[in-house]
Amino acid sequence: MICHKVRRKLAEYAVGGLRGRTRARIEEHVRDCAACRAELAALERTGGLLDSVSVEEAPAETWAAVQREMRGTERVPVARRVRWAWGTAAGAVALAALVVGAFVLGPMGPAEPQLVVATEVDEEMQATIEGHLSAVWAAPLSDEAAVGLRLAVLEDDG
Amino acid sequence: MGEERSEVQELAARARSGETEAFEALYRSHQAGIYTFILSQVRERELAADLTQETFVRAWQSLPRLRKAGAFRGWLHRIAANLVRDEVKSGRARLEVAASVLATDGETPAPEPRADAAEGPEAMLVSQEMKGAVWDALAELPAQQRAAVVMHHVEGMSMAEIAEATGVRPGTVMSRLARAREALRKSLSRYVEGTDDLS
Repeated sequence: MICHKVRRKLAEYAVGGLRGRTRARIEEHVRDCAACRAELAALERTGGLLDSVSVEEAPAETWAAVQREMRGTERVPVARRVRWAWGTAAGAVALAALVVGAFVLGPMGPAEPQLVVATEVDEEMQATIEGHLSAVWAAPLSDEAAVGLRLAVLEDDG
Repeated sequence: MGEERSEVQELAARARSGETEAFEALYRSHQAGIYTFILSQVRERELAADLTQETFVRAWQSLPRLRKAGAFRGWLHRIAANLVRDEVKSGRARLEVAASVLATDGETPAPEPRADAAEGPEAMLVSQEMKGAVWDALAELPAQQRAAVVMHHVEGMSMAEIAEATGVRPGTVMSRLARAREALRKSLSRYVEGTDDLS
């Protein structure tokens, strides 16, 4: 192997990322090439420097703050989360049916007030739901996103 | 290492069933790693402390959903990383600020090096300067590489654990570490270049 090819792989070698023949070839080259050997030594010293950095303790008051929050919040067991998710989905379907129904049926009945309500719900709720759907898309594991969507549905129920 | 992991696994299983003492033990053994990881990403101590707190609160709330108790550390880092990402999106965290915030900014000094009674004052100063330079160099890395370096070198996590925490393959972790090592070797050349070699 020639130097420039070895240099391209030295960092990977230094972090333990090469196996088999490629690794053996690099070792063979480095044994005979002082420049590449010095470069590998520098990469390994860099690793040593990084290893010498120690973790830092969180401020002492953090645990007390965590405990306060733990007392104030409810743990949601798995089973309830599943029901909750189904509830959210069912609520979303019901909301969609309500909005579509209001538009389809509105003009046929004495539905002036219903139509007004439906329009308000449509605009506000649509914006809220779209915002949270976007949040869910960007951060599927984000609790806020799911809670927001749920609240949007509940607001409508109320 | 395996023993340590099985102890964590046992504690996580107990905390999952609601034992707050077990959760406190998990907090004690993981808070420094999580705080340092978050600090390396957001570079503001107050914000890092807030996010550390939030990470553990969320972990407590979500523990019933953790399927593999042995994967607790990686899972905890994933929660922390998601919170950091949300902060960045909200604009509170300044991920792209110039380097040296951690090392030289009076408000956010670099993490303190461990005091070593065997070192003299001069050696301590050199060591502090070097560690400040390391944090400076880390600050210049892309966030994903920085996260991998901190998890691996500072916290001592394995490639598999980092892969679990970041949701990528171990090969990707390896590649991030290699790219980071190349960049850091250049930015820390003053400390790592020498006349001696491996012979």
